[in-house]
Amino acid sequence: MTLDTVLDGTAALFLVVGGLMSLAAGIGLVRFPDLHSRMHAATKPQVLGLLMLVLAAAIMWRSWSWVAIALLAWGLMILTAPVSAHVVGRAGYRTKHMRADLLADDELATAVDRVSRHGGVRREVKDD
Amino acid sequence: MSLLDYAYWITQFLLALGVLCAVYRVYKGPSVLDRVISVDVILIIVGSVMLVEMAYSGSTDYILFVVVTAVIGFLGAVAIARYVAVREPDSEGRVRRAEAEARAITGEPASEPETPRSPWGTGAQPHGGTLIEDESTSWFTALARSGFVPSRSKDRSATTDSETTEERRDQGSDNSSEPGGAK
Repeated sequence: MTLDTVLDGTAALFLVVGGLMSLAAGIGLVRFPDLHSRMHAATKPQVLGLLMLVLAAAIMWRSWSWVAIALLAWGLMILTAPVSAHVVGRAGYRTKHMRADLLADDELATAVDRVSRHGGVRREVKDD
Repeated sequence: MSLLDYAYWITQFLLALGVLCAVYRVYKGPSVLDRVISVDVILIIVGSVMLVEMAYSGSTDYILFVVVTAVIGFLGAVAIARYVAVREPDSEGRVRRAEAEARAITGEPASEPETPRSPWGTGAQPHGGTLIEDESTSWFTALARSGFVPSRSKDRSATTDSETTEERRDQGSDNSSEPGGAK
């Protein structure tokens, strides 16, 4: 059992795990009931799935310089994925694209109610 | 076929299944936000397919696409989430209130004569035109029309306090988000 065999096996395992992450995202997108739970499923291939595939590609390349570039791609995804998740989640909450009966605890509700008693005021929580 | 060949085909099959599920959610999704996150997932999976292809063939041809996807992939979601319509049962009352308030503001054309007559019914309307105005943008339009400069910190703190309507009316027409405040 040479080193190449071990590395190929590791890369194969990482590839399949990364593919499973994408499949989990797809199944979660189809089966989850509302927006925020679908967002939870949609972040799986963005972080863990992409990390697995990037590591598999880096292992297969056998080159440290390409490892740096691949990890740069993953790090940029880590930096930018919370931005879209934050904006989409905030818009979904503010425009009621969610099922409130599925929430275990809605900590924003009291603040939103207090602010939105003034009609026309932006339904966004301001700092007290 | 070696182990890596099996892993390659299995992974591509799994990625294809994920794309199909995301496409189904884009087709079926009840709101535009569901479609946005599904399109994001599709974009990520396309990048993943390219990564798998690169790992299998040993080439580095598509790494630039993956990096660029990671950098600007979130812009679409941010841009679309800015213009999402309010979907709630009592949104009609609030929209009607916003319309009445807009009419109250447009009732005095001496302040800003170059503003259009009724900005609430014109312009781009997502969701097939059923939406009158997004709630998260109507406050901004009303604020811009009133000529209020939102730099004073006391007004910002005053909106969060639970004070009476008369006190807010005393602030004049600077905060026109209150119905009748501009009169």
